Amino acid sequence: MPIQVQLDRVLFERRMSLTELADRVGVTIANLSILKTGKARAVRFSTLAALCRELDCQPGDLLTYEPGPSEAPD
Amino acid sequence: MGPVGSVEGRGGAVMMMRALGPGSVSSFLKVILDVVYAALIVGLGAVGLLLIAALVFSFDPGLLRGMTLSAGGASLASRWPAVTGGLLAAGLYIAGVLVIVGCLRRIFATLTAGDPFHPDNVSRLRLIGAMLAALELGRYGVWAVGAWLMPEVAKARPGLSLTAWFSVLVVFVLAEVFREGARLRREAELTI
Repeated sequence: MPIQVQLDRVLFERRMSLTELADRVGVTIANLSILKTGKARAVRFSTLAALCRELDCQPGDLLTYEPGPSEAPD
Repeated sequence: MGPVGSVEGRGGAVMMMRALGPGSVSSFLKVILDVVYAALIVGLGAVGLLLIAALVFSFDPGLLRGMTLSAGGASLASRWPAVTGGLLAAGLYIAGVLVIVGCLRRIFATLTAGDPFHPDNVSRLRLIGAMLAALELGRYGVWAVGAWLMPEVAKARPGLSLTAWFSVLVVFVLAEVFREGARLRREAELTI
């Protein structure tokens, strides 16, 4: 995936744990881990909005684009 | 996407209740599948026992000396090889249908578990399609062998059953639909 999720970096900057973020956003830790490790295929706008709200950041802080293979294999 | 998704979710939940509740279509189908499965197992067991008996008698017709069995005017004793072959064909047919019903039951189990687009269901549907095709080919095969061994008996030529081949086609198309469904399910799983 050319889109990379920078959740690790933002969490580190905010000194917040994944568990705490999961509690605040209302997403399971398992799903947040999928997002953090880059296995996710898509992010709902509602999830993105909740992440930005709790991390006090913009979507651009969480997501970066790097050219690469476009599609992960099935 | 959110509101639409939630509406679909609610609609899906209502459908699930109607499709899976007591007295619903699926509980009716489940009873049919279970009954057919049990009947097929009993039938396969009966054919198996008869086959063993036929094999024993075909090797040693003297065992039947005390009994008089006749079929179609001719003594059954002279026809043991044909009886054995017929039983073997019937056994294979029942086994094939058993495989199909077994697959259907497993597919149904995934439906009642609320996960009908499980990736395994694709291969199950393909197996059902292949089995239907094999049963139809087997029918031609049995006729051909019968006509070769007993030309005087096997006069009726089996017609090309369009319904059977059409059902094979339907099942394979459904398998492809399920493959796409499984892909969408995986994508939905990985949407956070």
